[in-house]
Amino acid sequence: MSETHKEHPTPTKYVQIAIILAILTAIEVALYYTEDVVGALAAPLLVILAVGKFVIVVGWFMHLRYENSLINKFFAGGMILALILFAIVMIERAVGNFF
Amino acid sequence: MSDAHAYPHEPTGVETRKLGMWIFLSTEILFFGTLITTFLIFKGRDFPGMKLTDVYDIPFTSVSSFVLLMSSLTMVLAHNALEMNDQEKTRVWLLATAMLGAVFLAGQIYEFTEFYHKGFELSTNIFSSTFYVLTGFHGLHVFIGVVLLLALWGIGQRQKGLSLNDGMNLEFIALYWHFVDIVWIVLFTVVYLI
Amino acid sequence: MTKIIQPKKQKNIFSRPSSEEGIWSWITTVDHKRIGIMYGYAAFFFLLVGGLEALLLRIQLSQPDNNFLSAAEYNAMFTMHGTTMIFLAIMPISAAFFNYLLPLQIGARDVAFPRLNALSFWIFIAGGLFLYSTFLFGTAGAPEGGYLDEEVSRLASAPNGGWFGYQPNAGLKYSPGTAMDYWAIGLQILGIASLVSAFNFITTILNMRTKGMRLMRMPVFTWMTFAVSFLLAFSLPIIAIALFFVTFDRQFGTTFFLTEGGGDPVLWQHLFWLFGHPEVYILILPAFGIVSEVLPTFSRKPLFGYPAIVFAGFGIAFIGFGVWAHHMFASAISPVAQAGFGLSTMIIAVPTGVKIFNWLGTIWGGKLTLNTPMLFALGFIGMFVIGGLSGVTHSVVPADTQQTDTYYIVAHFHYVLFGGALFGIFSGLYYWFPKVWGRMYNEALGKIHFWLMIIGFNLTFGPMHWLGLQGQVRRTWVYAEETNLGFWNLIVTIGAFILAVAILVFMANWMYSRRKGEKAPFDPWDARTLEWITPSPTPVWNFSKAPEVKSLDDFWYQKYGEDEDGRAVRKDTADDLLIQLEEEGFNPDEEIHLPSPSYFPLILAFGLPFLGYAVIYKSIPLALIGVILLLIGGFGWGTEPLEEEFESAEEDLVNTEEDSVNEEESPTNE
Repeated sequence: MSETHKEHPTPTKYVQIAIILAILTAIEVALYYTEDVVGALAAPLLVILAVGKFVIVVGWFMHLRYENSLINKFFAGGMILALILFAIVMIERAVGNFF
Repeated sequence: MSDAHAYPHEPTGVETRKLGMWIFLSTEILFFGTLITTFLIFKGRDFPGMKLTDVYDIPFTSVSSFVLLMSSLTMVLAHNALEMNDQEKTRVWLLATAMLGAVFLAGQIYEFTEFYHKGFELSTNIFSSTFYVLTGFHGLHVFIGVVLLLALWGIGQRQKGLSLNDGMNLEFIALYWHFVDIVWIVLFTVVYLI
Repeated sequence: MTKIIQPKKQKNIFSRPSSEEGIWSWITTVDHKRIGIMYGYAAFFFLLVGGLEALLLRIQLSQPDNNFLSAAEYNAMFTMHGTTMIFLAIMPISAAFFNYLLPLQIGARDVAFPRLNALSFWIFIAGGLFLYSTFLFGTAGAPEGGYLDEEVSRLASAPNGGWFGYQPNAGLKYSPGTAMDYWAIGLQILGIASLVSAFNFITTILNMRTKGMRLMRMPVFTWMTFAVSFLLAFSLPIIAIALFFVTFDRQFGTTFFLTEGGGDPVLWQHLFWLFGHPEVYILILPAFGIVSEVLPTFSRKPLFGYPAIVFAGFGIAFIGFGVWAHHMFASAISPVAQAGFGLSTMIIAVPTGVKIFNWLGTIWGGKLTLNTPMLFALGFIGMFVIGGLSGVTHSVVPADTQQTDTYYIVAHFHYVLFGGALFGIFSGLYYWFPKVWGRMYNEALGKIHFWLMIIGFNLTFGPMHWLGLQGQVRRTWVYAEETNLGFWNLIVTIGAFILAVAILVFMANWMYSRRKGEKAPFDPWDARTLEWITPSPTPVWNFSKAPEVKSLDDFWYQKYGEDEDGRAVRKDTADDLLIQLEEEGFNPDEEIHLPSPSYFPLILAFGLPFLGYAVIYKSIPLALIGVILLLIGGFGWGTEPLEEEFESAEEDLVNTEEDSVNEEESPTNE
């Protein structure tokens, strides 16, 4: 662990990350208004942007990148479990009736 | 805090309370997951005439989302200041985070009253129910976060600085606060933009 | 250079509780052993209440067209029986075992968060009292045009929509009155208790292990606690939100689960069983753990296939999240889902079967001691196999649609939860009796208890299999004479009363032996795990010094060596070792600092029921009381230190804190 352990970023780095987050948010809002132009691509792009912001905040602000792998496993475990379970429920309740 | 001095502890190398906090956050995923799932299933089922999506004020919500996003920055700066043992700055950033959170909450209250005046009550239709419960549940989390931040700031003011023990608390509150922020990142996209 | 700022000594709202004996020492305790004992007694009390409710049900069903209970009373009784047994009896009794044994088995002095532990206990008590206050304050009205025209008695003013609360039946339209609100909010409060204890146990197991206690050296009971805690942590949030929705539907006019407003009643079933099926394993896995401790001890052999049992436990926990829809085969789910969930239900039988064979392998060729805990453990295996096999029959969808909502299902889950979980729990109660009280239970009475129980149990639940296949329907208060179901129903009722007698025998044994039983020797069972290296009853500090573990079943290998054929041979030094351990256990040579007792968990916990009442009766004053209690509890908790500091130790404290920070900055790999 000690070799892979990285120092936490500096305040300057944090501000840079925040600027990136702000830009991503701006793109999201822009996508919302240009939905007619972008068409069907808008929704997946919005999801990708949200995932990107999510990962940035979790990884850098919550220091998950720098944490013990155990914590990473917990968090990833919770995410994966939730995604699988709720995907099944959603398919069942929203789509399943068409089978 | 371990209970005895000579007693071995923390074979995982992670501070016990921090580990507990992360486990709590992992289960919070399931809380919000259930709410978001319900929201998505009921999306588009607002049949008694009016559509809540029509009265969304996207510029306003974008600004308040931005405010919450930036509160994550001030939070991480507070944490960083404490690591540098800069007590003065720590308290400034803590207060700034709490204020930004309060601005977000005020924005949510304003938004709710606006929608209410436009005729959307909690029980108007299934979409408005899920909207209010989902965003309200998140708002409750923000509120708790603001209270915790203010309490920590108050302790810092009174003692003219935060002790190591409080510093550990700051880390937990920071984790919680960032988590509330990432939930909003998801909600902003899922509820408002898509 | 880091400057350390000492926290100022603060005046707190109350002076710190300091009594070490008497009722206040129990109420304010944060000692995991005392909390465990209180959990045990409270849960046993609710077990008796739930049993009483079951007896009322059985009297009603003992003959056709009976009039002992009204339909409304019957509905209330079966709902409260199920809810009580699951949430107020079996779960907290398992929590009692976790609390008492977990820190001992991993060689710790307490759990990771002692005050949170007290908090979970008091929230459980608050939730239980809240739920049962429905008999005093609740109302269960008649649905429009429903079955009820008579006056609703107090006995019937309890939740009556089933422990699963299916919508819209449990909604305001078909279950008017406040009783179902008591149910929804009561479960919500109880859920918080379990959730808090789950965090606590996971962190305890990961971070409080003693020197050398690697994960794969932990006793199986600890492993099962670990698995159960994960199940709790990841399944309870789902039901918490679903119960929120129910409360909103009933109190604030939303329609989350009501079709008339665009809601989705089947969504409730999904959310409920997403929690409800892991819950089944939450109930049974602790018993698996207990039995895995009892069998090796009384077979005088190591547990057969320790890694297999551990991984099977986690396999069950993991697959347990993926089988929920088999409760809904008769509901609106797609054929694809039916096939998928049928398959996963068959698959989950595999790790369960692995465990059964491991237990059989453990007793195979062992020198068996057939005393009470062992008898219960063997009874557990037998009964659980029956329940498991009838469970696999549910995975066949066409068969299941026939069995759904008949007594066949009732038979199945009682074989699993009574013949399984409760037999395991009784095995554990006898096994650890000498540890907790320092005295032996009465073996003769114990055996009478076992035989009464196994006979009564099979008479009660065995005939339900064929009653169900003959078509007797669950949750129905009468059956007609012409159905010819009367004879076996009478047998079932007789069986239930035999069970009641068995429980009385158990109680007599317990109360007598706790005070007048023989003094227990230091290591009465010649056991294998760490809790037995402490004196009985365990002193408040658990271990005089941190034990160091060198292998799985370390204590056993300190006492026993092997001859050339691999047979266990007792070392000459074993007896001296025991005497030495007892000596050391009572006389620690270092000063031990234990967490101090606290009022605040209690205060915080009892804020919650007030909030519950406030929601039901839309009362601002009640809400204020609740919030004030929560604030006092939270503020007092936050400002009081975990352990009262000693003036002389101040200097050391600073140093240790500094050390721990240094450790933290450079995390070491395990």
